Amino acid sequence: MSDLLQVSSLGVRFSGLTALDDVSFTLREGEVRAVIGPNGAGKTTLFNAISGYVTPTSGAVLLQGRDLAGQSPHAIAEHGVRRTFQNGGLFPALTVLENVMTGLHAQTPGSFLDIVLGRRHAIEAEQAARAQAHDLLKLMSMDHMADHRAGDLSGGQQRIVEIVRTVASDPPVLLLDEPAVGLSPVARDQMLEIIRRLAGEKGVGILLIEHAVELVMSVADRILVMAAGKRIADGTVPEIREDRAVLEAYLGYA
Amino acid sequence: MQVSSLPRLRRRLFWAVPVLLLALPLLTNEYTQFVANGMLIAALVTLGFSLVIGNLGQLAFANTAFFGLGAYASAILSATLGLPWIVTIPLSGLVGALGGFVASSAALRGIRAYYLAIITLAFGELMRWVYVHARPVTGGTNGLALPKETLFGFSLSDDKVKFYVFLLVAVLLIKATSNLLRSRLGRAIMAVRENEVATASLGIPTARIILMTFAWSGFVTGCAGALFARHVGHVFPESFGMIQLISSFAMVLVGGLGSILGAVLGAVLLTALPEYLRAFPGLEELFFGLIVGAVLLVLPMGLASLLRRASPLFSERYYRE
Ligand SMILES: Nc1ncnc2c1ncn2[C@@H]1O[C@H](COP(=O)(O)OP(=O)(O)OP(=O)(O)O)[C@@H](O)[C@H]1O
Ligand SMILES: [Mg+2]
Repeated sequence: MSDLLQVSSLGVRFSGLTALDDVSFTLREGEVRAVIGPNGAGKTTLFNAISGYVTPTSGAVLLQGRDLAGQSPHAIAEHGVRRTFQNGGLFPALTVLENVMTGLHAQTPGSFLDIVLGRRHAIEAEQAARAQAHDLLKLMSMDHMADHRAGDLSGGQQRIVEIVRTVASDPPVLLLDEPAVGLSPVARDQMLEIIRRLAGEKGVGILLIEHAVELVMSVADRILVMAAGKRIADGTVPEIREDRAVLEAYLGYA
Repeated sequence: MQVSSLPRLRRRLFWAVPVLLLALPLLTNEYTQFVANGMLIAALVTLGFSLVIGNLGQLAFANTAFFGLGAYASAILSATLGLPWIVTIPLSGLVGALGGFVASSAALRGIRAYYLAIITLAFGELMRWVYVHARPVTGGTNGLALPKETLFGFSLSDDKVKFYVFLLVAVLLIKATSNLLRSRLGRAIMAVRENEVATASLGIPTARIILMTFAWSGFVTGCAGALFARHVGHVFPESFGMIQLISSFAMVLVGGLGSILGAVLGAVLLTALPEYLRAFPGLEELFFGLIVGAVLLVLPMGLASLLRRASPLFSERYYRE
């Protein structure tokens, strides 16, 4: 399988603090790649640098050969790298269906004038987006919640809707920032199933930040281990299990 | 009632109102017609304001400036350049949109909340200063009178004639705004309000959405300004100050933040209210404030929330309690 995303020597400095230091790795099509590391290791900063929320001070992010580093978040999202947020990024006052429809915004046709003048094809595009959002919710068995206010959903349901919304446009690359945190064991299994399906059936390349090591080991193809802004290890699950540096620095074994 | 027939019923109701209103001039006298005309203008001003503070969720108070810009544009274009007043309406809208563009630049620089409120208030006061001091163009404190004019042979000094033009403009702009809010762009406007950072992560250009909302708000309000210029026949700087701002803010809140129906209702009721309060000279402002306060205590989300609870016919996709 080919490399979708190539991150090379990515660095981020915040006045005085090096939050990300010379991090390089690749992500393949259909691969689930976990990113682990203690609090403050720079995992979210890595996501922010890839998705344009912080401007990298050095390095490159290539999506299928095209450099994304330094572009705005919405441009990077439109190129096909989409993310979720550690603290949840749903629009609470919008319905579940509307949340998913916002994920289809960029690919729904209809100019400002067409919309304001109520032209038929703009109305039809809106109806098509609505139908498509329903279909996406059905795939995740969430369609019965379509008309609920997103803010009224349980934490687990909100995480799932956020993922449905993020993958609505079929992005080749997905960045998930702790999607399973705070979920019940059942919801957590459902989340893992969704991640496996997205990678396995749709070939999405997924970067997954997750603290629960046993969960990571069960779903990831490869694992990137970070500490203090640096990559301290990178390899397959068995390789990481054996890695002394990881055992000492992160997993806490003597 | 069948679910699928609801949108159709709603559409019929929407068009039934202006059709019925066509008969209104048969029922009014000079005074009530003048008040009704003012209601149509207030409805557009409230709609434009609600779009920014309700739907987009920005604490920006530049809409009085857009209103004044539209009114002065109309007066200057017709009194000085001799353009027919009807032609100045869309042009005033464009001038208002330009004002919206300028106001949005503050929001786009990351100025938010109270800071945005202060800067946009200052923008409104600055415009008033310009109206007073650009005397050769604006007539200074004496203002600018609109020339007498006819439209298809009807005198534009006649409030009943004005009413039909105002009604047409109001219906078109309300319909267009409703189209906007029920589209992907309307959803994006609310998404920016809910979580701007997450909105950008979906490939939505948030800066462009903010700019578009301010500009459209400015267009609607600028058109209303052109109607206002003809309504009172004479534009003065004092018409576009704090009183105007507070009154349209009250209309937005009483109607329901972000609701089109609410904007119209709030404008109609709070335009009528002072007319009734004339019976209590000296106490008008006090009673006005008390009544607005009481409505908001009982209905914090405005009249729209009451109607929405009464029937699904009045639920609006873009209005949130
Ligand atoms: N915008 C910012 N400005 C300044 N410092 C920042 C900024 N964002 C992150 N940091 C700092 O960078 C370091 C890495 O933070 P980051 O959020 O990437 O960690 P993390 O690995 O995601 O941790 P956690 O597991 O707790 O989510 C921290 O010391 C943090 O305080
Ligand atoms: Mg983090």
